[in-house]
Amino acid sequence: MEDEDQQKIADLIKELVLRLLSQNPTSDSQPLNPKSPSFHKHLRYALRILSARLCPSIAPDSAAIAESIKRRLVTKGKSSQALTFSELYTKFASKTGPGSVNNKWAVLHLLDIVSEDRKNAGAQLGSPLLLLPNLSLNDAESGDGDSRVLRRGGSKEKGWNNGVLVVASDSGNFRDIAFREFANFVKEENEVSEEILVREVLYACQGIDGKYVKFDAGSDGYVLSDSIKVPRATRTMVRKLCELGWLFRKVKGYIWDSMDRFPAEDVGTVGQAFCAALQDELSDYYKLLAVLEAQSMNRIPLISESVNSGNYLSLRRLSVWIAEPMVKMRLMAVLVDKCKVLKGGAMAGAIHLHAQHGDPMVQEFMRRLLRRVCSPLFEMVRSWVLEGELEDIFAEFFVVGQPVKAESLWREGYMLHPGMLPSFISQSLAQRILRTGKSINFLRVCCDDRGWADAATEAAAAAGTSTSRGGLGYGKTDALESLVDEAAKRIDEHLLDVMYNRYKFKEHCLAIKRYLLLGQGDFVQYLMDIVGPQLSEPANTISSFQLAGLLETAIRASNAQYDDPDILDRLRVKMMPHGTGDRGWDVFSLEYDARVPLDTVFTESVMAKYLRIFNFLWKLRRVEHALIGAWKTMKPNCITSNSFTKLQQAVKLQLVSTLRRCQVLWDEMNHFVTNLQYYIMFEVLEFSWSNLSNEMEVAKDLDDLLAAHERYLNSIVEKSLLGERSQTLYKSLFVLFDLILRFRSHADRLYEGIHELQARSESSLPSQDKSKSRKQMKDRSSEPGSWFSEGRKALTQRTNEFLRNMGQDLDSISKEYSSLLENFISQLPEQQHVDLKFLLFRLDFTEFYSRQHPSS
Amino acid sequence: MDSKAAKTARESLDLAFHMSNILETGLDRHTLSVLIALCDLGLNPEALAAVVKELRRETLSMSPTVPPPSSS
Repeated sequence: MEDEDQQKIADLIKELVLRLLSQNPTSDSQPLNPKSPSFHKHLRYALRILSARLCPSIAPDSAAIAESIKRRLVTKGKSSQALTFSELYTKFASKTGPGSVNNKWAVLHLLDIVSEDRKNAGAQLGSPLLLLPNLSLNDAESGDGDSRVLRRGGSKEKGWNNGVLVVASDSGNFRDIAFREFANFVKEENEVSEEILVREVLYACQGIDGKYVKFDAGSDGYVLSDSIKVPRATRTMVRKLCELGWLFRKVKGYIWDSMDRFPAEDVGTVGQAFCAALQDELSDYYKLLAVLEAQSMNRIPLISESVNSGNYLSLRRLSVWIAEPMVKMRLMAVLVDKCKVLKGGAMAGAIHLHAQHGDPMVQEFMRRLLRRVCSPLFEMVRSWVLEGELEDIFAEFFVVGQPVKAESLWREGYMLHPGMLPSFISQSLAQRILRTGKSINFLRVCCDDRGWADAATEAAAAAGTSTSRGGLGYGKTDALESLVDEAAKRIDEHLLDVMYNRYKFKEHCLAIKRYLLLGQGDFVQYLMDIVGPQLSEPANTISSFQLAGLLETAIRASNAQYDDPDILDRLRVKMMPHGTGDRGWDVFSLEYDARVPLDTVFTESVMAKYLRIFNFLWKLRRVEHALIGAWKTMKPNCITSNSFTKLQQAVKLQLVSTLRRCQVLWDEMNHFVTNLQYYIMFEVLEFSWSNLSNEMEVAKDLDDLLAAHERYLNSIVEKSLLGERSQTLYKSLFVLFDLILRFRSHADRLYEGIHELQARSESSLPSQDKSKSRKQMKDRSSEPGSWFSEGRKALTQRTNEFLRNMGQDLDSISKEYSSLLENFISQLPEQQHVDLKFLLFRLDFTEFYSRQHPSS
Repeated sequence: MDSKAAKTARESLDLAFHMSNILETGLDRHTLSVLIALCDLGLNPEALAAVVKELRRETLSMSPTVPPPSSS
């Protein structure tokens, strides 16, 4: 059977060769001799070709071949022939059974190739160069030209390398074969074609589960299900690409979450803006996905096929396409993670931190995002700075307001919330923003002023920003700064104008200095004179109404009456809470009613400080007053020494020496008090006041003003020994004051005694001034005539005793005083304040004290 | 070979010949029948096509002066 077949094949081949050769188109060709050597040569050649073990390069699928032939005919524009061909083919294919062609595909393929070859040959016939030489026929007619030889050489070489394959099919064909094999291999390897995978990945990128690529909660990501057989590389690639889907899910989830929460919970305007910006980015992303999806519909050509439409999508192409969206999506996911718990300014700040990036694309993206996110924030700043409105229902702004009373509006009404301050707004800028809005609110609430609106409009015009929306934005910090600066400048100016001119801040400061700090000398003197007797009473018996009346009298009697009635109206008497045994001196004080809006400056704590200073100064004045009172009685010409001529020499001597001692002590005390008084008045009060005046001139805003006033008050407190560090000094000073007051009463008693003595001695003599001593005699009416009866001797003895007692008292006071003063002076240098050195210098100008106690 | 088989064979050949004409292979009926027979015997169609091509070129090269035949 084999042999038979072989024989049959050989016969058929022989026949074929004969037929082909006899087809020689030349009509005059000699009849072909089957025995001729040329025939044999050709037959051998044909056999050699056929015996080559050549496998067909295509799958034995006749339908596919027919289809491809038909399509080619159509593309060549021979559609009618294509139609005929397909009809013929269907008929041809339907022939089955005995007698029919078995290898239909082979026949078709054969026809196809022959047709192609013929066409190519036809095309080549025009140029002899392209006539490929016969390989096996060692034709003698070579040397047709150099190029031909060269060509042949190239072909021969190929022939050697590739064997007969080259002859059988050209090199393109060979590559086709390899590619086809590869395609088959790929088909075998992959259960799912790449097109489908690409589509699946695109679904996953939109957060949709596909048929093969599904979200796996366990590994937290989109994965290709394990049951599907694909190479590992593909699997990895799909997983990489699906990262985008995971990120998308996260971002989308956040947006939905926020949207859902929105009406119920406070997401905040910044959060909403963030969501909107993300949404916009996502819509761009959707556009890209739509394009990609359209492309994914195109078939992926084999590598061998020349690609005329490049718009197909493979996994690799997809990975290039989504590289950029992946970066953006990653950024968004990071932001979403960061911002989940944040809101408002904190959120903007967190996003801003991520904008510090070297990649221009990232920078651009973040800037776009931030511009959207920050717009509500900047809108808040704008309305706060220009209108003083705190439009912040979600507590997102870095200025926080709280309801307070008008007087503490400035200090406590509005605060900076450091957590909500985004880092692109500097601390100082934030402070300025806070103050500007605060100033507007202060003007509105406390000053009842409307002029600020003009100032704000002016500021907006100057900054080049319309008062309406827009103009400000992220990345335009300069614009913001200039707006804030302009607004702050004008508003502050306006505020100070209102404070100075309408509310007369300076005048009130001066009034406080004059009345509370006892700067108005005549007024204080007069007040001291008329309330003195009252204040010596126990505190609980004093009526403050009466004192108020006395204050009124003092004002009327002094230059103060020419002062502004508004200021005088605010001056009141205040009785401090008192315990048992307190004298009027201890509880009496003056008060100044500051009223809105000045109570922002003169707060309760400030007034308490003023009160302390007042008490100190009041006491100092009282001591000074007491010393002056003592001086009045002590004036040397009141007691003429010749009135004591009748006295014994010894008594007289004693009297004179006691008086002298008293005088010396008084002088010493007066020196101290006067110098202290001088120091307080000129080194402390006036000096501080002059500083305050200067600072008021240069103050740019209310904060400056407050600080200046604070400094003024503090310097007074510090320098007048009322500060924390001079507590001991202050105490010893008060002991000194008490001692001086005690001295005054002693001195009074001494002089009273002397006067009485004088009266006695005068009455024992022919009296010339009875009317003067009568009053004193009445005091002693309980023991009338006792001195008379005892006579001159007794008088002398009593006088002696009295003077001795007084002398002893004075001695003890003097001793105590000098030790106290020494103590006080020795403590002075320990004080930090430079000005206290001047006090020491002044007190010890002649170095009397330091020489007296060289040890200290 | 009964008559029916012969008929089928003839018809098949006819159809193949028609197709061959449409595709402008330039093969005549007899040659085509030989080729079909060879194909049925399991020879590689590509090799057969190569033989046809080569032998045709041979005949052309043997008489290079002659213009190519008009397509059949």
